[in-house]
Parts: sequence; C-alpha cells; structure tokens
Amino acid sequence: MRKLVLIALPLLMLYGCASEPDTAGIGTDPMTQGDNYQDYLKVNNPELGKRLKITDVKSRKTNEFLEVNLQLLSTYDKTQNLQYQFYWYDADGFVIEPGKTPWKAIALHGQQNLTLRAMAPVKNVDKFSLYVREVPKEVYKFED
Amino acid sequence: MKKLTLSMISIGLLLTLGACSNKATVSYGDAQEVETTDLSFGSTDLQKIATEMTDSLIASAAVDELVKDGRPVMYVERIKNKTSEHIDTESITDSISTKLLRSGKFRFVDMSRVQDVTKQLEFQNDGGLVDPSKAVQFGKQTGAEYMLYGNLSSIVKSNKDKSDVYYKFTMRLMDLESGIVEWADETEIRKTKEKQGWSW
Repeated sequence: MRKLVLIALPLLMLYGCASEPDTAGIGTDPMTQGDNYQDYLKVNNPELGKRLKITDVKSRKTNEFLEVNLQLLSTYDKTQNLQYQFYWYDADGFVIEPGKTPWKAIALHGQQNLTLRAMAPVKNVDKFSLYVREVPKEVYKFED
Repeated sequence: MKKLTLSMISIGLLLTLGACSNKATVSYGDAQEVETTDLSFGSTDLQKIATEMTDSLIASAAVDELVKDGRPVMYVERIKNKTSEHIDTESITDSISTKLLRSGKFRFVDMSRVQDVTKQLEFQNDGGLVDPSKAVQFGKQTGAEYMLYGNLSSIVKSNKDKSDVYYKFTMRLMDLESGIVEWADETEIRKTKEKQGWSW
C-alpha cells in the first residue's frame, strides 16, 4: 500500500504540473449565405463536441454588411466558460482583417441555448466561419 | 533492496518537483484571446465594447437613414470614465472610431490633433518658407455633423470568497445641428473571481 502511494504521488504531481489547457474546439468551415450549415460543421475537440452543439446558422445582409446569427446549445448540466471567434472572408476566400477579430467570452449555462450574433467589419465579405473553444482557467502560481 | 527502491522513488519525486518549480517563462500570445488575469478592465473588455458598439451602430435603422446622402462626418467625444479604476478611455474611443472608419460608412474629424494642425497651418501660411500658392488655407476644413459620446460605469461587489465587477458602457450619437440623439446603445460585462479548492 505504501509503495502504491509512493508511486502514485509523483505521477499525480507530474500530471498536475504538466496539464496544459486543451485549446482545440468546435466550429464551422468557411460558408456563405444560404449554405446548409450541417455540411460545414467540424469538431476538433471530441470532448467539447459532446457538451456543445451548433444547432442553427443564419446569415443576411444588413445595411450591406453580412450579419450572422448562430445557435449554440449546451448538452451539459454545468456552466461552461467558452470563447468564440468569427472569421470573415471575401469572395476569393481571402481572410478579411486577419488577427483583428477578437475572441469573445461567454458563460454557457447548463442546457442553455444561446444565440451568437456578429457583423462583418467591412462590406465585401462573402463567407464566414466560427470557432468555439474553452477559456483556460487562470492558475495563480507566481507571486512576481 | 527495499532501501534502493525507496531511494529511487525519492529521487523520482524530487525530480518531478524540480520540473514543476516556479520558473517564469516569456512567450508571445494571441492579442485577441480572452484574458482573465484579474478582475480589472482588460483587453477582452475593450475589444467587446468596441466590436459591439460598432456592430450596433452599423446595423441600426437610424444610421441607415443618415448614410443615405453620403458618409456623415463625426467626431468622438472622450468617453467619460465613471468607474473607480484608472482606464485609458481614449483607447476605447480609438478602437471604435477606427472600426467605424474602416467600415466605410462614416468619416471623422480628429479633435485631439487640432493644436498640431493649427501649428502646421500657421507654419505654412505665416512662416515664409512655403510657397503661398501651395499652402493649405485656413478656414477650409469640414465641420462634424454628428457627435459620438459615451460613459463607462461600474459596480464592484465582493465578500471573502467572491469578487464581482459589472461594467456598463453607454454610447450615443447626437446630431450637432438639431441636438437630437439619433442612436443609443449599451453593452454590459460581468466578471467574477471566486476562490477555488484544490483541483488538478
């Protein structure tokens, strides 16, 4: 028993120190207005994919700007701290303003159905995609 | 043999602890990533406010009316900071005006550079060095038709286990000629910090 504890303890400690947050998530591939969203869904993190579903995607032009409405459904009972990012593309598939669309934080409560809404930053946007992943929890280890 | 096993395990334990020791490392991160270092106003809050206000302004029916006859000229009043924190509100103003300008719907005049512009025009017109036919004339600038202004306020609450901060950002667009507020919107942010027990 003592041996088991002595072996298990360092292993646990190693796991505790080495656990890096999983930054993969779920999302959609670039899609345009009128596309069937189910053909574009992708799950890079099967663990998150079990707890989170994209259940509807709509888009329209508002004042010449592409506007997207996306339904996110939690199939989990606890609150999930997530972040999402929209990407915008022109008709040729080039990314618009790369690295300038912020990740937005959301708290998705147990079994909640939440609508995410976003607007393209410029007019010549033809396609969009979305990515959702978990917010890594901050661990306060350092005092400096 | 037993002693050897125990000492091997002890060495292993020490090595494991050594690997986990508090070492500071520097790395480049994603500037757009959600930041949760502490409760104070951060980059994620600034980006959320700027994006939501710009999206709302562009999508509003009132603004659709305003931009029918061309791109209206606006100026952004400094955002009033009513929170207890020191927040660089000029940074919020800059982000919002840059996004609006890049949307192609509006044009801006920059009130923060009036002194520099005056100095340059004085140099061109009165300095004697610039060809008078090529000097930019006084009195030719365009005046702003609309003023964009806002407030940032907060409510902070805490007890021994939990701290909570709530930010509210309100923004309005006023027609400078008539004084009518053509558009207004607000966005809210809630951040909570809780004590957590041991977890792996």
